[in-house]
Amino acid sequence: MAALSLKNIQKIYPHSGQSKPRKKKGEPEKKSNLQVTAQGVIAVQAFNLDIADKEFIVLVGPSGCGKSTTLRMVAGLEEISGGELYIDGKLMNDVEPKNRDIAMVFQSYALYPHMTVYENMAFPLKLRKAPKDEIDRRVKEAAAILDITQYLDRKPKALSGGQRQRVAIGRAIVREPKVLLMDEPLSNLDAKLRNQMRAEIIKLRQKINTTFMYVTHDQTEAMTLGDRIVIMKDGWIQQIGTPQEVFDHPANLFVAGFIGMPQMNFFDARLLCEGGKYSVSAGGCTVELSPEKQANLAAKKVPAQDITLGVRPSHMVLSGQHGNTLTAVVEVSELMGSEVHFHANAGGKDVVVIVPTMNADGGRVDSFRSGDKLNLTFSGSVCHIFGQDGKNLEF
Amino acid sequence: MQRVSKAAGRKAISGDLVFRIVNGLLLGLVALIVLYPLYFVIIASISSPEAVLAGKVVLFPVGVNFDGFRKILERSDIWRGYLNTIIYTVLTVILSLLVTVPAGWALSRKTLPGKKFWMMFFIIPMFFGGGLIPFYNVMSSLKLVNTMWAVILPSILSVWNLFMTKTFFETSIPDGLIEAAKIDGAGQFRVFTSVVLPLSKAIMAVMALYYAVGQWNSYFNAMIFLQDESLYPLQLVLKEILIASESTVGGSGETILEQFRLANQLKYVSVIVSSLPVLCLYPFVQKYFAQGVMIGSLKE
Repeated sequence: MAALSLKNIQKIYPHSGQSKPRKKKGEPEKKSNLQVTAQGVIAVQAFNLDIADKEFIVLVGPSGCGKSTTLRMVAGLEEISGGELYIDGKLMNDVEPKNRDIAMVFQSYALYPHMTVYENMAFPLKLRKAPKDEIDRRVKEAAAILDITQYLDRKPKALSGGQRQRVAIGRAIVREPKVLLMDEPLSNLDAKLRNQMRAEIIKLRQKINTTFMYVTHDQTEAMTLGDRIVIMKDGWIQQIGTPQEVFDHPANLFVAGFIGMPQMNFFDARLLCEGGKYSVSAGGCTVELSPEKQANLAAKKVPAQDITLGVRPSHMVLSGQHGNTLTAVVEVSELMGSEVHFHANAGGKDVVVIVPTMNADGGRVDSFRSGDKLNLTFSGSVCHIFGQDGKNLEF
Repeated sequence: MQRVSKAAGRKAISGDLVFRIVNGLLLGLVALIVLYPLYFVIIASISSPEAVLAGKVVLFPVGVNFDGFRKILERSDIWRGYLNTIIYTVLTVILSLLVTVPAGWALSRKTLPGKKFWMMFFIIPMFFGGGLIPFYNVMSSLKLVNTMWAVILPSILSVWNLFMTKTFFETSIPDGLIEAAKIDGAGQFRVFTSVVLPLSKAIMAVMALYYAVGQWNSYFNAMIFLQDESLYPLQLVLKEILIASESTVGGSGETILEQFRLANQLKYVSVIVSSLPVLCLYPFVQKYFAQGVMIGSLKE
């Protein structure tokens, strides 16, 4: 149990002999999308985050965004190039991993193959010279929580992937660490097992009192597990907020596109401001914004301008009318059971629309085939308005 | 359609069969080339020397006798040589593992301070030796000449073996495991003893075998540095016996001929006496060569 504070954390990987930036005429100094400077490749920069005691924080983002690097800096496995890391108010930048009182679950499990499950779980306690009976009690307690008591005498090679990951979690929680770090712990499991283990982690969280820091590239894990989510891209934090906040109020186009499944629809649109009332116009459909959005935009004195309009697929509505609607042509329809996902083309833009297969009265909703026209509309409260720089104009 | 695919299937099976037969024949031939000389040494050592010299011993021993073995094994210096060699080999293996394995581990770490310097430190003497006379002078000034340490100490680190060990650690011990141990509370030494060593049985077995065979078969250092016959290893004793039996002067013509035949048989016997213990050791080490120690530890 501990609060964590990351202040202006930075990670720079110095250039090795081969990877020194070669400057060619007209070629920008870039390695993927990370910033490259004379000192090296900047993997994480200006990372500021305060994590409360017992909070569950999820770092999420695409590959190479710096989320694992950040976690490894907290663990002490990577040197911190700049900034300060505090655990329980103590500066930890130069403290050895073993003295940080943290535990970590690795994506690859990292179980000791020559030890049994019991020995694997007892190893951290042995190293701390805990009495034998206490080791025994705590290992058995952790094994009971994770339902692996029957495997205590087995070696890792005799376990399935899910069981191995439970052992890895067991080894981490047996020490009752101040902070539990998890680096994509479910990525190596199949889809069914992943769902099951995700629920197990939620249950585990209720049973043990500790601060969690969890890294994943899977937004479902992020949304379901985290008290707060930190969304990262190219080494920068894009947004920090509760799952609901980042879903409802994405700070920029990247967050809007990254969070939510299927991805948010984006349209080239125009923000109109007439008589103090804001509305958006896209593809022949003009919608007045909700009072909350009106107030936000008015407070920031946002002028009328060209924007990118974002609307989630589940917020697009099929309209019976023909006027003031967005017209799209169905390309593919995917029946998902209780709903249909229509992939359509609206003026050259790909649009996804989610429609329930039944209406409120239990009747079947009209089916559409490839080539059929959809008349779409949306309400003013579900519009996300992004300026030319990709930032949400309400923020 | 089905008939066509059946025919195609039959063709593939007969192709496989031809491949297997040719493969088996070739491998059999290679095995024969390797095994026959070993077999010949065994049958020649117990055949009558006349038959061996006359080329009559081809597949089976002719005129079976154990005179050669009797002649060799009844000498007390052979047994002393055996004992010396065993002592030298055991000490060499223990000391070499104590030096090679930790050194290999240290060199395999990216964070080793001055890694480039240490690599050069080991690589340069691998290609440029100081020569025999400086080597002798060093041993002499360390007062090691005519002691068993003159045979043991120069053999406890082979740079080639060191680099093999280093490569093993770099490729076979995953970083994730080391990081997990560090987070679990292990320091550098504990990581090495509790995690790395138990997973390095394969390389330790291979190194033990290499160092043991190297020391068992070596005679040059002993020849240069040892004057006291009671310190002679087996190889040197056998060499002395062979030279003595070949260079007997005087006696009647028949005695000289007899000596010549015996010397010939002794050659085969000494090959067996000196290589049998190593051949017996191999099956116990062999299982480590192909063992996958990391199964179940990590998901790659």
